[in-house]
Amino acid sequence: MSKARNILELLFESRARVRMLKLLFRNSSSSFTATELAERMQEPLSEVQREIKRFIEMGLLREVK
Amino acid sequence: MTNKKNKTSSKNKRINKRKKRSMLIGKNKHVSKKIYAKVKKNEPAYFLNTDFGSFYELRELILKSLPAEKDDMVAKINKLGKIRLAIISGIFINKENHDPLVADLLIVGDYVENRKVKPFLKSLEAEVGKEVKYSIMDKEEFQYRLAMFDRFVRVLLDGPHEKLINKLGI
Repeated sequence: MSKARNILELLFESRARVRMLKLLFRNSSSSFTATELAERMQEPLSEVQREIKRFIEMGLLREVK
Repeated sequence: MTNKKNKTSSKNKRINKRKKRSMLIGKNKHVSKKIYAKVKKNEPAYFLNTDFGSFYELRELILKSLPAEKDDMVAKINKLGKIRLAIISGIFINKENHDPLVADLLIVGDYVENRKVKPFLKSLEAEVGKEVKYSIMDKEEFQYRLAMFDRFVRVLLDGPHEKLINKLGI
């Protein structure tokens, strides 16, 4: 059982990234600021901001205009 | 005597004035806090781009993954107090479409310390990526509810669930 989660973390290389994906997909109708994401993910803001940048470059994430 | 009375009342007035002023200051503090919160709200917000190439494949992968590691959960729940029963349901069982009315986590135990519950839930919710609907009760309350065919307990036990800890033999 525990292996399944580890596979995700191995695949995505970081706990913060996996937490961010889980949070975003489990609340796909909401939008979040970096501060909110960091608070709910219990991960450092700097790491969250780095992931946001990556996801935006990938085209997975968009900024609310 | 009347003079004295007047004196005290004017003193009271003064005190009241001061109180009012300090209340105002208190209010101002509140306002500045609000403004601060608003500034924070002005930071950019982000949302998932559903037009992303592999959006649905990625979504499937993430939602089908385990919300939280069970062994880890058991160890953490046991640290909250003298735990007799821990049942997971809702988001932990039906990862995608679960009944929003069913609790996700029921913990039955004695001497459960509230100051430990809050950080436990916060870290659990951080891992799951969603609010966890939970209920904590002592053994007496649970057995009473069970005997009364209490709806909350029945819905949980009749539906899909898993007992992580079961020292009550139910």
